[in-house]
Amino acid sequence: MAKAKVGVVRFPGTNCDRDVFEAVGLSGAEPIWLWHEDLFDSAQFSALILPGGFSYGDYLRSGALAARAVAMKSVREAAVRGTPILGICNGFQILCEARLLPGALVRNTGRRFIDSWVDLKKVGSRTVFGGSLPSGSGIRIPIAHADGRFVIDDSGLNELRDRDQIWLEYQANPNGSIAAIAGVTNENGNVAGLMPHPERAFHEWMGGTDGRRLLEIWS
Amino acid sequence: MKEFLFGVTVMPRREVLDTQGRAVEETLQREGEPVVSCRVGRFIELKVKAENDASALTMANKISESLLANTLIETFEVRRG
Amino acid sequence: MGQDQRDNKELQEKLKHYRLNESEHRRIAGLLGREPQGVEWALFSAMWSEHCSYKSSRVHLKGLFNKSERVLQSFGENAGVVDLGDGERVAFKIESHNHPSFIEPYQGATTGVGGILRDIFTMGARPIAVADYLCFGRPQAERMEKIVDGVVRGIGGYGNPVGVPTITGQTEFDPSYDKNVLVNAMAVGLFRKGEKVFLSKAKGVGNLVVYAGAKTGRDGVHGASMASESFGKDSEKKRPTIQIGDPFFEKLLIEACLEVMEQDLVVAIQDMGAAGLTSSSFEMASKGGVGFNLHLDRVPLRESTLQPEDILLSESQERMLMVVEPAKLSNVEALFKRWGLEAVAIGEVTAKKTMKLFWKGDLLTEIDPELLTEHAPMYERPFEPWTPSNRVASVADIAGESAADIRASLRTALSSPQGCSREFIFRQYDGHVGASTAADCHESVGVIRLKDSGRGLGIVLGCRPQMMRLDAREGGLDAVAFPALELAAKGFEPLAVTDCLNFGNPERVPVMSSFVAALSGLNEICESLVAPIISGNVSFYNETEGRGITPTPSTGVVGLRPTVTSLPKSDFVHEGENVFLLRLPQLWTSGAMGEVTGPESTGPRAFGTLNGKEIAALVTSLRKLTEGVGPHSPATENTISATRVVGKFGLGYALARMAISKNIGVRLSRSATQAARPDLAKMSFAESLFCEVSYEVLISSTESLEALRNRFASHGGDPRSLHLIGTTHGHRFVIESGSSSDTDPEGTLDVNLLELKMDYDSGWSSAFKNLSFERQY
Repeated sequence: MAKAKVGVVRFPGTNCDRDVFEAVGLSGAEPIWLWHEDLFDSAQFSALILPGGFSYGDYLRSGALAARAVAMKSVREAAVRGTPILGICNGFQILCEARLLPGALVRNTGRRFIDSWVDLKKVGSRTVFGGSLPSGSGIRIPIAHADGRFVIDDSGLNELRDRDQIWLEYQANPNGSIAAIAGVTNENGNVAGLMPHPERAFHEWMGGTDGRRLLEIWS
Repeated sequence: MKEFLFGVTVMPRREVLDTQGRAVEETLQREGEPVVSCRVGRFIELKVKAENDASALTMANKISESLLANTLIETFEVRRG
Repeated sequence: MGQDQRDNKELQEKLKHYRLNESEHRRIAGLLGREPQGVEWALFSAMWSEHCSYKSSRVHLKGLFNKSERVLQSFGENAGVVDLGDGERVAFKIESHNHPSFIEPYQGATTGVGGILRDIFTMGARPIAVADYLCFGRPQAERMEKIVDGVVRGIGGYGNPVGVPTITGQTEFDPSYDKNVLVNAMAVGLFRKGEKVFLSKAKGVGNLVVYAGAKTGRDGVHGASMASESFGKDSEKKRPTIQIGDPFFEKLLIEACLEVMEQDLVVAIQDMGAAGLTSSSFEMASKGGVGFNLHLDRVPLRESTLQPEDILLSESQERMLMVVEPAKLSNVEALFKRWGLEAVAIGEVTAKKTMKLFWKGDLLTEIDPELLTEHAPMYERPFEPWTPSNRVASVADIAGESAADIRASLRTALSSPQGCSREFIFRQYDGHVGASTAADCHESVGVIRLKDSGRGLGIVLGCRPQMMRLDAREGGLDAVAFPALELAAKGFEPLAVTDCLNFGNPERVPVMSSFVAALSGLNEICESLVAPIISGNVSFYNETEGRGITPTPSTGVVGLRPTVTSLPKSDFVHEGENVFLLRLPQLWTSGAMGEVTGPESTGPRAFGTLNGKEIAALVTSLRKLTEGVGPHSPATENTISATRVVGKFGLGYALARMAISKNIGVRLSRSATQAARPDLAKMSFAESLFCEVSYEVLISSTESLEALRNRFASHGGDPRSLHLIGTTHGHRFVIESGSSSDTDPEGTLDVNLLELKMDYDSGWSSAFKNLSFERQY
């Protein structure tokens, strides 16, 4: 049986691209590079991942410049088609700036970059990513960001709650995110974003393996 | 004491590399926008208490120089609000 | 005023502007056979600066131990390269960015990280790790809080976006750095199997000289010669335009450069660092024994008003110079364009060993590159031979006698700027990008897993300034011995060393004497370990208003381990294990506790002398002992779960640090500890806990003393140097008298670890009121 093809989108300044590419391979799928300047045929892919990093140096607003890249037209197409799409860290910021996910990600309350392992709780079950984990499961993976504070207005937050779009919550809020939100999905559930890095929790020697459970959707 | 409102514009010095402006400029140009150049600074609204207009302006300038702008790499301009 | 006087005045002003002295001027005139003209002044100013020419240190650096079977490249290239076997090689180097970081801490630190990364990828190696060695003044010193904040944000602000993890570091505080901080950054890059090492030697007459990366601005004009001067009161005024680093641009440059090298599109490549285009072009030509025709008007400019001299001296960041075959130029251009970067041919390689610089068609100068690269003056600055300093018969008086004294001393050590948590710093660095980090800043050794072979590359920084204040020779030796032991304690074989020699004004005899003494110590240990010094830099004139810094030869030591599994931690992991002390006592000092609690006039004190050969033997046997066992080992027996080399504040502090991290307590037997350390019998037990003995290593293991000793002996170690001094247990730090008949509470202790952790965690925010994280909401 042919392996599922997973597109990994690279923007100028993406720096977790190779890490995610390798993690996808370890998760049983076939990773394929997608370049920010090129359109692609979204029908070819079982899923898309926008990895973390500092696209365009995080200048202007994190994710703002990358959200206007050519390849995002195809990403948008895939989103409409219902393809599972995951944004990790800067990828999450890009999806928010592209309005494919609700809310926005702004500077941490502590105003500094934070690299740390965090404990998460799975709340919603709309996305296939981490789909095998029951709601309420604890997940331990690292964060590494300066602009990770999720913000949304009250009515938006209520909508997220009503539609089960809150995917992951921090057990101890590291960055001031509203309602300790670490990850959300779109209304359809096919587009998801999270600030923590699953690809950095794939082996015991990294300090934990919980990241695998969020990415292993193809086995 | 009265309150006086000022707008402070902080910009990267001309001779200093504006990394942010460069990235935004190139993105806009790539998209075909007729952008010749772009520089990114920041705008700060400042309300200060003072006896009169002149001392308020002096105060705003002092604050801008000591904190709002890093004069090694930035310039600032104080305008009455 | 007569014409002669006017000429002389003009000359003096010129020399001052270009920071050359009269004898150097005579030397230049002699080499040229005439007076220097036009841009030649700027060329000599930059290339003959201390920073570029090493004119005060070269005579001593020549004698450094720099070769072993593993060394593929040493001094003379951008970084040293070491062969790891299995086709894997690493390039690494440490470099200073002290003066710029004091002037503008954020930009100074960012450009420091950017510069050292370029030294690595310019050779074709992908950067895989950054480490930083920082020395700050007292927290209450003028501007210090802002400097600490700026430097730390700057290192993260560059390393994080560029995608290279910062995996280890060292941070020191001392009044001697109040007005001259040290910011030393180390970078490590990996060549995978089949990847070629690229050098800077220009080759091939008719090949093109290609400029790539960022446009040239006014940044840092005269930076190299300024870095070669002491700070005065007026240095605020004479600073050049601040260099701005752009990690986003650097990231693109890394990818583009590695790609052109992978496709074999370049003949030679060098980054434009200190003295920018001048040093890169002259060095490339000089190494290749060729000449360049360079058209300065073809250099991409940020401001059209830049003049040839500015272009030659600009230190704008993120720029590379390459030699490219004409047929491959279009490929190079296209590849850089794909990454959003410019690559422009600005000249060509010529057969005659002459640099011809053109400006809009006019020849500005025609000069032999070697005059600048090889004929710089070499000074034999006066120095005095080394004699042991600060030696005393005893180093007692650093702590009291009682349990209360032990507790108070522990709390003093843990909450002092020197001993408190560095979490504020680590948290701002991305330590895990690259998904290869097996041990980060929280461990005493930073570890990167090499993807292809699965082996571990260990990185540790060295130099304890307090040892340097004690004695430059011992401090230099310790600057490699201590990190080598830290590597060995985790099962890594130390392979090679890079050093950054931060010293004061070399024209002062005591400074030069300490420089020579430190180098002799470094050399002794490196030879003993067969860990050559393969790269580095010298930073002189770390002096402000006549006051020099502590001589600080910082080092980076790189080691290799067969695997990253079963890596011993630096903190206790399990309760119910035996705690062993491995000893090689050679040097006893009053150490950090002496500096914190002692009267300022006392200064550091010590007795004993370090011996490189004995240390090297210990490194070998210790490494074999810890190489393959640990928490994740499939072998459940003979497991070493944690190790720590005892350093600042001595044994008491080291035990507390091991315990508080995971809240795993320790019960120490006073009588067993005293029996293990007969050399400290004259001190009170409290004093012996904070006196620093070089060297001691703590080991936590499930093994019995007999089993561990047998294993150690089988690796060539002396079994009698291993002692059982306690066990891990509960959540308290307990010192027991160790004998049931001894009811004397003196020298016993029972303290809750949470209390110690509070001191350790809060020390930083007490020192720096405005520097803390808001953690919970």
